[in-house]
Amino acid sequence: MAESEHDPKVSSRYRELGREEPPAEIDAAILAASRRAAEVHPAPLVAPSGRRRWYFPVAAAAIIVLAAAVTFHMDRERPEPDMPVAAAPEPVKTPGSKPSEVERKASRAEAPRRERGTDDARKPGAYGFAPEPPTQTAETQRPAPAPAPAARSEVRAARLMAQAESPERTLERIAELRRQGRHEEADQALKEFRKRYPDYKIPEAMLQKVEKK
Amino acid sequence: MEAPDEQLMLAYRDGDAGAFETLYRRHRGALYRFVLRGVKNRATAEELYQEIWIRVIEARARYKPQARFTTWLYTIAHNRMVDHWRKKEIAAIPLEENLSTSAVLNPARQAEGREALARLARAIDELPHVQREAFLLHEEGGLTISEIAVATGAGEEAAKSRLRYAMAKLKAAVDDG
Repeated sequence: MAESEHDPKVSSRYRELGREEPPAEIDAAILAASRRAAEVHPAPLVAPSGRRRWYFPVAAAAIIVLAAAVTFHMDRERPEPDMPVAAAPEPVKTPGSKPSEVERKASRAEAPRRERGTDDARKPGAYGFAPEPPTQTAETQRPAPAPAPAARSEVRAARLMAQAESPERTLERIAELRRQGRHEEADQALKEFRKRYPDYKIPEAMLQKVEKK
Repeated sequence: MEAPDEQLMLAYRDGDAGAFETLYRRHRGALYRFVLRGVKNRATAEELYQEIWIRVIEARARYKPQARFTTWLYTIAHNRMVDHWRKKEIAAIPLEENLSTSAVLNPARQAEGREALARLARAIDELPHVQREAFLLHEEGGLTISEIAVATGAGEEAAKSRLRYAMAKLKAAVDDG
């Protein structure tokens, strides 16, 4: 320090003014506070060094791996959204035969999708996405629908049934409607079928049965 | 050989309560006088003094020995006193007592120049607070001009100027006798 900012005489005189000190109770209070604080180690604001250096990277890696595993698991569990069952290779099937593996998978996939509810499910009249899709078993246990208006009930029943059945089965049902002369219902069911399965190529023989002549 | 302040503070940061006690006993008197003579009110000084040490305790995890511990301590003290002055609007601080008068009235010191000490005490009281602070940081804290600049957030030239003016006034008061 430069001489002009320091004066030994002033400093000496200043020392003579007195040496006040804090009261003992304040000393005790501060020291007690310091001891209490020392018992609680604050989290370090800087990355730890030495042997503890690997804590943060390992913890971060564990979190990333866990997050990736959960995401992967959820993706595997989630059914294919709105994938038309008929888009799969069409199996050769005879009436009365057991459903193929593809159909069984599609059927299983269909159930949770209906439970989740999609935008389509909220659209009234959307084919195959009614709020309470029955399985065949559920359908048989359900009380008979009210008789009137009969046509609407049957169309609705057809829709409900279509949710649980394969495209082939739906076509057979449409053909049956056609055979019975219920052309209006058959037309509507066929229209909804094509809407739902736009890529499904109906075999020529079946096409003649389901289309209006 | 005594452990340096910075080492003690680091030890306290890591949980050694005994290190803090050593540090506290080393600085308690000087810091107390710095605060007391800065605010000129004993009750206020005691309150501020405790708050400063509590801030030191709370800030232990952030302490890094980049400067002398004393500079860090008096920076905290300065900031707390600035807060106090802002609340009290400085001029409203009453002179509860002439702190130095009690020392001057000590019979043992009367023979050593009662009048000179009284003049010095009055001169310190009458200093503008920034000059008084610079003087007290130098005399009580042992801070250099650059450390005073750091502690008060002033430029080095400003700190130097404040201390120089303070010293000139106090020297005049001492020499008057």
